[in-house]
Order: sequence, then structure tokens, then C-alpha cells
Amino acid sequence: MAFLTVSGVSKRYGDFTALDDVSFDLERGQVLALLGANGAGKSTLIKCLVGLMRFEGEITVDGVSVARHGRQTRNVIGYLAQNPALHPDLTVEETSAFYADLRGVPRSQARDLVAYVNLAEHAGQLVGALSGGMRQRLALAIALLGDPSLLIFDEPAAGLDIAARLELRALLHEQRERGTAVLLSTHWLEDVPYVADRALVLEHGRQRFLGPADAMSGPAGARARLYLRLAGEQLRAGNVVRSMLPEAEIEASGDWLVVLCHPAEKARVVEALVHAHFTILDLRVEEATMDIALLADSVADNTEAAAAAEGAASCA
Amino acid sequence: MRVILTIARKEVRDAVRGRWLLAFAATFAVIAIALALVQARAGDLGSQGFNRTTAGLINLCLLLVPLLALVLGTGAIAGERERGTLRTLMAQPLSVAELLIGKWIGLAIAVWTAIVLGFGVAGLVMTLVQPLTDVGHYALFILLSAVLASAMLSLGMLVSVFSEGRVKALAGAIVLWFVLVLLYDVGAIGLAMTVSSSGRALLLVVLGNPVEAVRILAVLSLEPDLQVLGPLGAYVTEEVGIRTGTWLLIGALVVWTVAPLAAAIQALGERDS
Repeated sequence: MAFLTVSGVSKRYGDFTALDDVSFDLERGQVLALLGANGAGKSTLIKCLVGLMRFEGEITVDGVSVARHGRQTRNVIGYLAQNPALHPDLTVEETSAFYADLRGVPRSQARDLVAYVNLAEHAGQLVGALSGGMRQRLALAIALLGDPSLLIFDEPAAGLDIAARLELRALLHEQRERGTAVLLSTHWLEDVPYVADRALVLEHGRQRFLGPADAMSGPAGARARLYLRLAGEQLRAGNVVRSMLPEAEIEASGDWLVVLCHPAEKARVVEALVHAHFTILDLRVEEATMDIALLADSVADNTEAAAAAEGAASCA
Repeated sequence: MRVILTIARKEVRDAVRGRWLLAFAATFAVIAIALALVQARAGDLGSQGFNRTTAGLINLCLLLVPLLALVLGTGAIAGERERGTLRTLMAQPLSVAELLIGKWIGLAIAVWTAIVLGFGVAGLVMTLVQPLTDVGHYALFILLSAVLASAMLSLGMLVSVFSEGRVKALAGAIVLWFVLVLLYDVGAIGLAMTVSSSGRALLLVVLGNPVEAVRILAVLSLEPDLQVLGPLGAYVTEEVGIRTGTWLLIGALVVWTVAPLAAAIQALGERDS
């Protein structure tokens, strides 16, 4: 039996259906990315998993029902909310100790985790005086208290700078290696193939896609638009990029070179141009916007086509 | 139990750190001492005077203690909800009952401390002015204040569970205080007499308000004088006797402490966090 099982979960507010018959499971040592536009039902699903909401259907964690034994299941769940709220009048040390006491975890572990998220220097500082990123890190330390077997992160990358996002990737990798099941809700599509094994796409509360995270990369994925103002030689620069990324769409316009590529490849484009001694005078990026409906359809088509091809090959 | 104690400890720490505990203790002490000094000037302080000071304090206590306890109780959950910390707390391995009982214990300890500290210091000052013989009644008054605070704290927490923010919760607390402390006597007697002229209706009216129950208990313990007891108190002593009446009132106060807290636990458990 999977560590987390979600069967036919729905959540209704009167006539409005926030979640409609969602089903999936998650094994230990697996990372499931939860994708969807704002209002797709990601946070609602997560609140149901943590037992913060009543719902129809069944959710079990390690075989224990969340609806009937929420306290017991929360013992093995580490939850990082999208905008974690902590008591502003407690210090970092008091906050971590308070939650350690609630979870029955030694305070020494709380201190270690505060150091792990690089907040040891701020241990005596009031939470209300911390920056958003620091509060997020403290909330992460609290989520990790007691070495939970299931980590649920709701938009953990929101508000984090690039360095922190890379640290988060490393943390997810580490947790996966330790056999922790991780459910990660994210807007950052480019992170998905790197951090997740599987992906679940929600749209208007409905499950549009459940499959391998790799399906989120390549042509099905959303694309970022990179505007590079160069000191001449736009055409040659375009060729350099094309030789590296044959699938990228490249257009030269005046001083500008416009590259439409997978979001994860933006840095590689810049790196290649600098390496080839082009002078970049200006750089603008339009981040990938996620058209979930289009993405889900595309991914589903690709997956079906791949499955059909696989089936045909095995028949032959 | 670990969870309950952790939450209770945090509430006590918040109360000490927020300084409201000391502020209320000081207020109680100043009022009690001022009242005692006024009576001392009138040449009234002595064993009987101490009793009169206590009687005067009861009226003040019936106004102030419910207000303090209601306001604290209503902030308990509404404040957490407004800050978003309720969700963070409920995502931990704890039950709604543990959360609310822990909060109630912590807040009750804080309010009891303010009452004992405030009126205790005042009592000490009074004994320094003139040695007193009737300290028992004064101690009983302090105990009754703490009991009243406990019941009002539970009522406040029930209001808190249904309030979306602190302002709405505070408004609810003030309305409830106004009804229980100021309007109840007249309104309830009128209603009881309109609906039914039987004694049972009047008894229900007495038991239906913890403030009224404490007032009658306090008067009964000091001087069961019909004029001081008022119509409801007089009815209780005449119909069921002082002994039965006292036990009925104590039972009502226990119910007023436990029932709203139990209802709050039930209601919060049925709500999405």
C-alpha cells in the first residue's frame, strides 16, 4: 500500500466545487509535484491532506485515515504553508522550541534545524522582525521537526531568492534520498523535472493529468522569453544559441536577440553567449506562464502517444 | 497532556510579556485599597468594616472581572485565526480539545494570578492599616472572583470560535458583558414573569447567568440580607433554603465553566481551519 493514498476526494462549498474526485497515491522516497493555476484547488487539496478541512472521499497516511485520526496522521506530516504564519511576539528560538514541545521532539533538534536553515544567528530575534524569506526558512525548520515521513510544501519557492530556491532543490533531493514522501505544490514549472518524480495537474478542482514529471519538460512545457541586447553580431549569436538548443525559437530584431526556450535553459543561453565573448548590454526575461489546460492536454496527448508507441513496439 | 501544558505555558508567558496581567492586578489593587481608605475615613474599617469593604468590592468585581475574562477569552481563537497562526497550530499533531483546554488553562492561570495578586496586595495593605479578624470572607470573595472569571473565560472562548477577527470577537464580548452584567436582572425577571409566574422560572433565571449566581453566592456568604440579595436572591433563599441554594449556584457555575468550553471544542472541530 502506498504511503499516502487519496481516493475520490472532493470539497464543496454549497454549489461551488473546489475539488472534484481527485485520486492519487505517493510512495516513500517519491516527490509528487502538484501543479495548477491560482484557484485550481492545490491549497484546498493540501489542507484536506493535513486535516485542516473536512472533505468527501478518503485520504490515508501510512494506512491511517486523515478524517478519523487527524492528530495521529499529523504526527508524521511536516507541512509548510504558502504564507506561513508564526507568532510574531516569540523569538526564533522560542518558536522552534514551542513547536518542538508540541510535537514531542527534543529542543536540541529544534536548535539544530534552526542552524540548518541558517537562522542560528537570529535565534534571539523576534519572528515579527524577520524578513519574509527568513520566516519561510523558520517555517521550514518547523516542518522538518521530528523527521516527518511525509512532507507537504505549499508553494515553498514563493518569495525565495534564487539561492534559496537552489537550496530548496537540494533539500528535496536529500529528503527523497532519505525515503521521505514529498508533495510539492509549485508554480515553478521549470523546477518540476528536476525535483519531482511525478506530477499532478489540477484545473478548476479537477485532476487533468497524473504522470511522470519528465512530461512537464520538452515541447509540452511552458516557455520563457529571453530578450538580450547585444553589442552587435546578433545573427552570429543566434547561431551559437541554435547550435546549443536546436528546439529554441530565435529571432533577431535590431540590437535585440529574442530567444524562446524552456525556462530551465535560460541560464545556459546566457552562459553560452558570455563564453563565446558576446557583450550583453541588457537582459530581460518574460517568465513562463502556465496555461494549465493547454499543458495538461499536451502532456496527456504526449503520454498517450508514447504509451501507444510502446504498446505497438511490444506487439511487434 | 504534554500538548495542553505546552499551550498553557505559552498563554501564561504571553500574558506576562504583554503586561496586561500586571496592569489588571494593579487596577484591582488600587480599586480595593481606594475603597478601603474611603471606608477608613468614615471610621468604618475594622472587622465589620472589612466585611463592608468586601461587600463593596463584590459589586466592582461583578463589573470588572467578567469584562476582563470575556475579552481575554474572545481573543483566544479569533486572534489566532486573524494572524493565520490557527492554521499553523492545527497542522501540528494536536486535537481541537487539546488546543482549547490548553488555552483555557493558560488564560485562567493568568486571570487568577491577576485577581489574587491585585486583591491579595490590597488585603495585605488593609491589614497593615488595621489588624482584621474577618479575612475568611475576603478570601472567599477572591475565590468567587476567580470562579466567575473561569466561567466568563469559557463563554468568551465560545464567542471566539464563531468570530472571524479580533474586532468582531471583542464586539461580541462587550455585547455579552452588557447583557449578562447590566441588562439581565431586569430583562430576565420580566421575561420569566411574563412567560410563567411559577417559582421554577425564577430559579432558572438565577441559574442562567453566572454573574447573578456569583453575586447571590457572595451575598449569601457575607450577609444573607434580603435587601442586599435582591429579588432573585431573596427568592432562592426563601424557596430552596440557603444550603440547597448554595449548592445549586455552585453547580450552575461548574456547568457555566464546562459547557461553553465543550461547545467551543465541538464547534471548532466542525469548522475548516
